[in-house]
Amino acid sequence: MRALCWEGVGKLAVRDVPEPRVRAADDIIVRVRASSVCGSDLHLINGYLPAMREGDVLGHEFMGEVVETGPGVRRLRVGDRVVVGSVVACGGCWYCRTEQYSLCDNSNPQPVFTEKLWGHSPAGILGYSHAAGGYSGSHAEYVRVPFGDVGAFPVPDGVADDAVVFASDAMPTGWMAADFCGLEGGEVVAVWGAGGVGQMAARSAQILGAERVIVIDRLPERLATAAARLGVETIDYSRTDVLEALREMTAGRGPDACIEAVGMESHDVGPSYAYDRAKQAARLQTDRLTSVRQAIMACRKGGTVSIVGVYAGLVDKFPLGAAMNKALVLRMGQMHAQRYIPMLLDRIAVGEIDPGYLATHPLPLEEGVRGYELFEKKRDGCLRSVLHPAG
Amino acid sequence: MVSKATRWVLLGVGAAAATGVGRTVARRRRRHQPERQDGWYVVRRGVTVDRPRDAVIGFWTDRERLDRALAEWATLERIDGDRWRCEGVAPDGGAGWRAEITVEGPGVLRWRVTEGAVPQEGRLELTDAPQGRGTELRAELRYRSGPVRRVFGLTAGDEPDLALRDALRRVKSLIECGQVIETRHDPSARSPRQERATDKIRDKLTTGGRA
Repeated sequence: MRALCWEGVGKLAVRDVPEPRVRAADDIIVRVRASSVCGSDLHLINGYLPAMREGDVLGHEFMGEVVETGPGVRRLRVGDRVVVGSVVACGGCWYCRTEQYSLCDNSNPQPVFTEKLWGHSPAGILGYSHAAGGYSGSHAEYVRVPFGDVGAFPVPDGVADDAVVFASDAMPTGWMAADFCGLEGGEVVAVWGAGGVGQMAARSAQILGAERVIVIDRLPERLATAAARLGVETIDYSRTDVLEALREMTAGRGPDACIEAVGMESHDVGPSYAYDRAKQAARLQTDRLTSVRQAIMACRKGGTVSIVGVYAGLVDKFPLGAAMNKALVLRMGQMHAQRYIPMLLDRIAVGEIDPGYLATHPLPLEEGVRGYELFEKKRDGCLRSVLHPAG
Repeated sequence: MVSKATRWVLLGVGAAAATGVGRTVARRRRRHQPERQDGWYVVRRGVTVDRPRDAVIGFWTDRERLDRALAEWATLERIDGDRWRCEGVAPDGGAGWRAEITVEGPGVLRWRVTEGAVPQEGRLELTDAPQGRGTELRAELRYRSGPVRRVFGLTAGDEPDLALRDALRRVKSLIECGQVIETRHDPSARSPRQERATDKIRDKLTTGGRA
């Protein structure tokens, strides 16, 4: 079969690879119909998380059709159209039992790297490097999904592939970001990042009761899309002092909750950004913290900072003093896909959330390299490239 | 031209720095060395299984499930009432080691390796975890080895402490989700040579760790 593979830092290619097989009783094989690029893939492609091996198949946000099931699979049948959570969860450990699926104890078969790096190993993730288990990813014609009954969910009829694909990752991540904020109604929420996750976080915050949502980015087309599609207010950080603007917009209080949906390659203007970028390029720090710093400084006293952008390692100039003395609540984590997907599918089916507009660039798998280029360089108004291996 | 005095100063600073680094490394190594008792290394490891104690014991007494779970890893044969013989399967499919396991009471067992590279024995005890978090499997392993052999064992990935941690994680996974997941055969565009190199890295990332 054909698959989009990592070939070294910054290098991708579509290659022939063997087809996956059922290896365990509860495995399923999914024929991929839609597989989205994701901002967190860029950290892997560009070598900021040094756990990729040449030939690894990328991709973790996808949906498709079940073509084979292991003998232990009970809930799914061949022919089911399913969306699959990118996080692999066993369904049987304490973390899965308490719906903290991204912390699953048993789904990362190679836990030593992350145990040394982070103290404990979180769940495995499909197509997300050997730090996350070395699973083959979804930018391929077929993908093996372990614990199929736990991780794959039948899709309601009438919902387009290019909409439901985002229920795999961007939507649950955005929902969890808003969920972290503990909204009770009437709050002002600021969201850093107007990519797929940022826009889904903004929409989720609206549904959960935020009165005003302010989205911060530098790309005019993304800000315009967010304003038009979601009715949010926007700030272009390349033209405006974000902290000043947020203070002014909230009459001096600051947002009640700040969501960071950017991650370790965040962008900014000015000398501190140049300093961070130089340090990261020299691998003296793994992550750039620009947007988290802003979120902590902007958040109102006693507010919540919710971090769902992906960070991997060490940072400097973390404003712990501001967080401590303003009594902020900091919440963060990889999303618990399996907790949120069924509820999100219901909301898509009734039209409460329509993520389909994120798929600005549907492409065949063979154009996967171009898809990432468009996405990374933010060319042609690209919000997300969605690959279609099945044609 | 560097003067003689400067050279001595540099030498002194270098020696002091080397001594400092050496002492720090030695202290760090000592902190990570297992306890020694009468020539035996003694390590204690534990893992929490999210099942009540009866369910954990039940797993080991359900012969069919146990054989299925251990299939590619070890075979188990009952010698008499409370004694069992366990034979580990080496990666090449041959016999890797033999151990005798004795059940000492409800939730307590001992093992002794009768054939293997390193003399070793141990004790495993099951206790209830707090807050209804299941069962704690607490193991104490004693093995005879020297510092050099231990370093080689850690490097080669066949040190008894690493094996114990693997075994505990494996047992937890088998009880909680019925399998020990692996990604060794997942599709990739690697050549056979690259795949072999990747498998070696997989082994490093799979062996040991916390438990």
